[in-house]
Amino acid sequence: MGEFLVSLIVALIKIAVVLGVALGLGAYLTWFERKLAGHIQARLGPTVVGPFGLLQPLADGLKLMTKESIVPRGADMPVYYLAIMMAVAPALLLFSVIPFGPEFEIFGYSIKPIVADVNIAILIVFAMGSLAVYGTIFSGWASNSKYAFIGSLRKASVIIAYEVVLGFAVLGVILLAGTMSTVGIVEAQLEKGIWFIFYQPIAFVLYLFCMLAESGRVPFDIQEAEAELVTGYSVEYGGMKFGALPLAEWYLNVVALSAIAVVLFFGGWSGPQILGPFSPYFWFLVKTFGLVFFVIWLHWTLPRFQARDVTEVAWKIMLPLALLNIIATAVAVYITGG
Amino acid sequence: MGVKRVNRKDFLNLIETIFFFDFLKGLSVTLRNLLRKPITTEYPSEKLTPPKRFRGAHGHFVWDGSEPNSLKAIEGYMSYEKGKSRCVACYMCQTACPMPTLFRIKAVQEPDGTKRVVRFEMNLLNCLFCGLCVDACPVGCLTMTDLYELAGYSRREAVLKIDRLENHGVDFKKRRDKEPDRIWIDDHHREKLWGKIEWTG
Repeated sequence: MGEFLVSLIVALIKIAVVLGVALGLGAYLTWFERKLAGHIQARLGPTVVGPFGLLQPLADGLKLMTKESIVPRGADMPVYYLAIMMAVAPALLLFSVIPFGPEFEIFGYSIKPIVADVNIAILIVFAMGSLAVYGTIFSGWASNSKYAFIGSLRKASVIIAYEVVLGFAVLGVILLAGTMSTVGIVEAQLEKGIWFIFYQPIAFVLYLFCMLAESGRVPFDIQEAEAELVTGYSVEYGGMKFGALPLAEWYLNVVALSAIAVVLFFGGWSGPQILGPFSPYFWFLVKTFGLVFFVIWLHWTLPRFQARDVTEVAWKIMLPLALLNIIATAVAVYITGG
Repeated sequence: MGVKRVNRKDFLNLIETIFFFDFLKGLSVTLRNLLRKPITTEYPSEKLTPPKRFRGAHGHFVWDGSEPNSLKAIEGYMSYEKGKSRCVACYMCQTACPMPTLFRIKAVQEPDGTKRVVRFEMNLLNCLFCGLCVDACPVGCLTMTDLYELAGYSRREAVLKIDRLENHGVDFKKRRDKEPDRIWIDDHHREKLWGKIEWTG
């Protein structure tokens, strides 16, 4: 009974920490993105609220929460509200399988800094990625608006194409590591002493594209497409309901998928010991943030693909490449014995 | 004039495709911009000074002893006061103006036979800031200043009465009379765009 209670408390603390970090990071990424976009365009970004505009996320949150909530006529009310939960929950659940560091001991208990160390963690990532599309589809359907609906249908076609590619791309890493557990994959890389990006560069590029497509980032943001669909599926939402959808898609999803990319390809928490016991966390956060920076940088650089081209690229170019990559990896693993 | 042909390939070759050459090019452009200094003017706390020939709100130069001798000739016919507008109510500005209802000008004859301007109003809501009225003024009275913050809380505030016009003129003369008359804020900026001008003499 005592042991159960301790593990329950530990799990609750881990969930609270991860939730706080994820939501706080998501909020401050809006500030970071606006600053970066501003400086890329020779502007300043937010400067007025607080020093360097650092309180801008709080001001935005207050503004969104105090806004009037307008629900369109003919909206499917239960689904309309459910869609927000369906968008936010999978994005948050992605964080549950991310290992932030190695196992450590405190008060005689060994604790893993991961919410759920399951041996099918990568499958959970795929499942949550596919579940996230329900949020988009529901919000488009329930809004009773053609722009929103076109946006959600585009997102559905993109997700179908890119989930397949994502699965096949990650399969190479799973073959190399011999496990689906995220902790296991990082430990395999530590054991081999080399990051999997050097074995699987094609898989990494494919993963990067799938990440951009799943989180609705440029150049695959055809479901948002400000110029043609206003903002796609979230156009009929107001106030914090509107804030939650981009928060989940553009920020939480990008951070979570970047963290998983770090686990799969960049050796997770591995790195030189420069900060004592905190260096694994430091390296993990630095690598994740580097990828997030790259994604945002890409967002403010590239134009958008045509809706037709996005799925065409996935089915005609990326899927064959991923399959070839798996076959090559499988043969190599078979010959060298893993 | 010859046509300049830009030598650019329509397609990347295989190596360039594999390494996302076009993406890298674009990323390097945005990175260079990211490291560049922003060009923003933070407007309410910083304000740009327009060049002297900027066509902002109108003003009246006043009778302050600095006018040319030719104007002294009409002094006997006008009942001027020191520090007041040197307008002679000739209606040339109204005639030159493309908008017929912009000016309201009125003058009366004093008992001693001189002319006194009692009313000179401009409705800036109708104004397109072309500057034709300034060109038309025969006594060098009407001018355009560098004031550009003309927003107000009511339509009434957009009408310039004679005392405001005088204030604008006095203020503009005090601040910028010494500056050379030009459309660039300084020679440095002009030369950056147009190169150095070689004048004779």
